Amino acid sequence: MKRMGDAILGALARGAAVTVVLMLAVLVGVLLVRSIPSLRVFGPGFFVSSAWRPNEIERPVKDASGKVVIEDGEVKTETVPPEFGALPVIYGTAVTSVIALLFAVPLSLGTALFIVRVAPRLRVAAPVSFLVEFLASIPSIAYGIWGLFVLAPFLRDYVEPPLSRLFMAVPGLGWLASETIRSAGGQTIAKPLPLTGRDLLCGGLILGIMILPIITAVSRDVLRTVPRGQIEGTLALGATWWQSCVAMLRYSRAGLFGAIMLGLARAAGETMAVAMVIGNNNQLVPSPFAPAQTMSSLLANEFAEAGRGLHTSALLEVALILLVMSLVFNIIARWLVVGKGARTAASA
Amino acid sequence: MKRLMAIMAGVVVGVGLTAASQASAESDVRLTGAGATFPAPLYKKWVVDFEKAPGGQNARIDYNSIGSGGGVKGITDKTVAFGASDAPLNKKEIAALGGPEAIVQVPSCAGAVVPAFNLPGVTGEVKFTGELMAKIFQGKIAKWNDPAIEHLNPGIKFPNLNITPAWRSDGSGTNYVFTNYLATQSEDFKSTIGTGKQVQWPTGQGGKGNEGVAAIVQQTPGALGYIEVNYANANKIAYGSVKNRAGKFVKATTDAVSAAGSAAAAHFKGTVLAADLWNQPGEDAYPIAAFTYLIVYKDLNNLKSMDEAKALTTFLHWAVTSGQSTARELDYAPLSPEVQKKVIEALDTITYQGKPVK
Repeated sequence: MKRMGDAILGALARGAAVTVVLMLAVLVGVLLVRSIPSLRVFGPGFFVSSAWRPNEIERPVKDASGKVVIEDGEVKTETVPPEFGALPVIYGTAVTSVIALLFAVPLSLGTALFIVRVAPRLRVAAPVSFLVEFLASIPSIAYGIWGLFVLAPFLRDYVEPPLSRLFMAVPGLGWLASETIRSAGGQTIAKPLPLTGRDLLCGGLILGIMILPIITAVSRDVLRTVPRGQIEGTLALGATWWQSCVAMLRYSRAGLFGAIMLGLARAAGETMAVAMVIGNNNQLVPSPFAPAQTMSSLLANEFAEAGRGLHTSALLEVALILLVMSLVFNIIARWLVVGKGARTAASA
Repeated sequence: MKRLMAIMAGVVVGVGLTAASQASAESDVRLTGAGATFPAPLYKKWVVDFEKAPGGQNARIDYNSIGSGGGVKGITDKTVAFGASDAPLNKKEIAALGGPEAIVQVPSCAGAVVPAFNLPGVTGEVKFTGELMAKIFQGKIAKWNDPAIEHLNPGIKFPNLNITPAWRSDGSGTNYVFTNYLATQSEDFKSTIGTGKQVQWPTGQGGKGNEGVAAIVQQTPGALGYIEVNYANANKIAYGSVKNRAGKFVKATTDAVSAAGSAAAAHFKGTVLAADLWNQPGEDAYPIAAFTYLIVYKDLNNLKSMDEAKALTTFLHWAVTSGQSTARELDYAPLSPEVQKKVIEALDTITYQGKPVK
């Protein structure tokens, strides 16, 4: 009797594991198959093209001298097919993620160090840990609304104007606050970007707040695995408290890097909050004050109405890129955090 | 003890009532429609009101506002009883549905798109032309105190403020109407940005849905966006008047949109009714408007029974006649009598497995 129970439970567990793995395989497979039309039309150019135009354009054909061609008394027109390229969204995802990390990593590592080394365990460390982890349970949309109605106007009114003036005043930094546009005459001119608060900076900061909990929780657990002897050893050798902390961080650097990678994976995939504050413009402007688009916000914006055909296929190719990217980040992170034999939140 | 008895009695009666309503729900006809988000507030009111209308007591209709593309997909895959779309079906979509002989597409009401702006300190009616808006959305006019804007609005003092164009980042009927209208006003716009449910704007910010664009406009001094008139009215967002084909500046009202519809009805042919409402002639016609459409199969054999077919056609008839007063209440333009006549003619051709549904 007991043996049969074992067999059933074993089979169920095996089945569950296989199902989960199959689900991922099917997901990748479906995305790959549905991306084929887009892969075929755009090829590797998809990664470097910054066009994203889902509509056909009908325009008059012009000859070499720029004159409209007239055939049989009518203006000859040509139809320009839709065009898609992922460079602006890859760029948007990369920049918001970097801003998020610049904001979140110092805060997270500081908090983790505080919890592990400074705070009395029960009275302070536990509540701080709880509150940081509580940040993770706030729904994405709530961050989005807060970002849209509080953070964006704040950035627009108090943070971006002085920064913009500073960038414009320092020679060589003007590109950080301006965009180049083609004027009516055909030449390109740089003009200061209008500050709206809904831009790469705001998207990055919102992401930074959202990835704080995971980076903090994992790095706290990583730091806790530093052997007590190691810490006491540094102190015994005459290290100051500061030097001892640095040694502790250096000792667990692989795990901490893994924690950051987990944060990065979450930042790249985060959708609704970013879509609400990033300005949703598929353009490639190097300034952090420019509205932009990330891969996931692009999908959130356009998928519902993309219809059948190339537009959907291009969106699915973007989804595939995003999935592969997150997978790579996660694999690196797991390898760094878990592979070193550390028992952490990430391995649980 | 008495109180406890009363509560128990209440519970028993409550349970009885629930059971009764469930029993009657089983004999009901249930239908689902899906599609466009723009008329969703109206359709959702319609399906509730219809349950009290003659012929609708036993019908329960659900409307899912999943977007026009989803509506067309739903009716093509026969997963819904009717589809709803802001843009009329194109040739490819009609072919996928079995050709023009196999379907009925009728307008249900019309809506207007207005230029909504955020200009602190500016009072009075701000006037726009299509040509001006085309230049603004192409990034060719970037300041509110541009001579082109001041020349059009001599009585108004505009601030030296950047214009932030605000547009729909999701595919939508609103984009479709607005770009098609601008294309009639500017050759340059037509050949560089073009028309469609989604285009690539060279400048400005995108918001998802009317609410997304409205949020940008409300928050950004200097923003100019285009949103549905009912959304602007409901949220008290200021919007300007637009110069129509007859040269008059018209503010969007349900009457001004219905006026545009009357002129367009002459183009209706067969059972796949479609007409462009933008830039219509007529002194009072508002120029940025469009019909929104309902799509069903001409032979309703995608439904399960004659009862279902009856419920659906009764609903459609009711919507384009009695339901039109609700449209006006919600700031949608009702169908004009000329349009209504053609719509009813088209609906009368619907059959169920070859038999007329009456």
